[in-house]
Amino acid sequence: MAVPILKQGHVLIASIQAALSDRELVQLRDALSEQVGKFRSRGVLIDVTELDVLDSFATRTLRSIAYTAKLRGADAVIVGIQPDVAFAMVQLGLSLDGVATALDFEEGLAYLGRPARQAGHRVR
Amino acid sequence: MFDEVCVVIEREGDIVSARQQGRTLAAVTGFSTTDQTMIALAISEIARNIITYAQRGQVIISRLDDGVRRGILVVARDDGPGIPNIELAMRDGYSTGKSLGVGLPGSKRVMDEFELVSAPGAGTTVTMKKWLR
Amino acid sequence: MTEQIQQAAPRTLMHEMGLNSAAIERRKKIVGFEPADVERIAALRDLVKVHTEQYVTTFFSHLAGIEEARSLLGSRTLLEKARQLKRDHLVAMVQGDYGASYVEQRLELGLLYARAGLDARVFLGAFHQLLKQVGTAVMKQFERTPAEGFENFMSLKKIAFFDIGLIVDTLVFERERTIRQQQEAIRELSTPVLQIRERLLLLPIIGVIDTHRARFITEGLLRAIRANRAKVVVMDVTGVATIDSKVANHLLQTVSAARLMGALVIVTGLSSEVAQSLVALGIELTTLNTVGDLQGGLEEAERVLGYRVLVTEAGVHPAPSVS
Repeated sequence: MAVPILKQGHVLIASIQAALSDRELVQLRDALSEQVGKFRSRGVLIDVTELDVLDSFATRTLRSIAYTAKLRGADAVIVGIQPDVAFAMVQLGLSLDGVATALDFEEGLAYLGRPARQAGHRVR
Repeated sequence: MFDEVCVVIEREGDIVSARQQGRTLAAVTGFSTTDQTMIALAISEIARNIITYAQRGQVIISRLDDGVRRGILVVARDDGPGIPNIELAMRDGYSTGKSLGVGLPGSKRVMDEFELVSAPGAGTTVTMKKWLR
Repeated sequence: MTEQIQQAAPRTLMHEMGLNSAAIERRKKIVGFEPADVERIAALRDLVKVHTEQYVTTFFSHLAGIEEARSLLGSRTLLEKARQLKRDHLVAMVQGDYGASYVEQRLELGLLYARAGLDARVFLGAFHQLLKQVGTAVMKQFERTPAEGFENFMSLKKIAFFDIGLIVDTLVFERERTIRQQQEAIRELSTPVLQIRERLLLLPIIGVIDTHRARFITEGLLRAIRANRAKVVVMDVTGVATIDSKVANHLLQTVSAARLMGALVIVTGLSSEVAQSLVALGIELTTLNTVGDLQGGLEEAERVLGYRVLVTEAGVHPAPSVS
């Protein structure tokens, strides 16, 4: 398994350490989907700090992971998108609309552990 | 000196290889990390198009120097079925395959020069350039 | 220690200037250098080697008479190093090998001139004097076969022009590097990103926004978000000269990129007229969080971050709420 998935309470954590091939990304998605169901996780955190590029396939797959997690009752958050990567994605026209994002691991956990959503601030 | 690299694209793992080598060449040429990322991204999208639509092709990345400016040249070539309607393919959001439809128009946006030559049955060649500011 | 740094520099500079073997060959082609020239230059080898010290002296004497060369001549270490390099240059010029290490040698001297603040014109003037003296000596030696002497000298001149090209390009390159650094510094000062509270950044944008500046601002903001771990950015555009569809798209891109890093951007200072005209142009503004004025924007940002403003007898202080 290219990306190890750690369980921390009700949260599943996947830290991507190096560039993943398309196949490995899809494997990650399937593994997360399976484990969310198995452990009845409430949150999924994917850390992409080490990725130096997020292309259309990676973006699509991350969206897919978030969507699948939601279908199984879990919140998902992508953390660690670097300034260069964010800039390049936006220039190319790639978006993660509809997927929660946070600055880093700490912020991601805080997001997943937050109390029930109140009116006002929503991370879109 | 490291001036040119040619990557054969026939397996999806080659996409990562092409963009990483492209990034290295861009770094050696003197591009900022932001520009390196954009170049790597454009290469990734173009290489992916080869796998998706033509199954096999090649990406050649080389340093440019016309005596006045320096930059990087990316040429992606395949002998696939070709693109029947180029105008449509270059329109944002349009997609016939599994892509988001940002590959071609998106790459055009992040590079300085972009040229696409394609015809049904004649394969596709994408030529992109980016210059150092 | 300094010696080591200076030795590394010419090689790096060669790299930066793109002086690979192809570029070097093209430069030789530009000055019309051919294999036949090597032989002709060889005929002048002894002449140049015997009089090297004389030629070096001519070069530096000429510089001594020029105000602008003061900085080079003022420093004993610089001058000594320059003389030594010049000596090596003259010898190498007639050796016949004009490849990468020859070029590196020229660059080393060019760098020295650049650091001494020597102008291209000044250098050219002195070099011209040196060549003149060499030319005179050549014609004297080939008194009985002037045509041959002339041709030999012409071949040497080709390499001289090759050298000039390299030195001048080095001077220009180094000057542009300084200018670039200054421009960067100016740009940084013109669009500061201010941290006004923990996790809260203020980005006041003033003036004209073109694509280049928009990109610079966005990159700066994204790095600031990472460095300050900001969750909210108040981007005030009151001072932006014109907001047309292009500028609006830049703003939208900045907001999208910030969001990818988990930061919320509140745009303030967008007048309703401008907003309406942008909507009329088809710009998707619904994704933007906008608040009329800066004050309102800051209050909204504080609210989002969980700050509450307490009014006590002593005055008004913001207090972080306990969540």
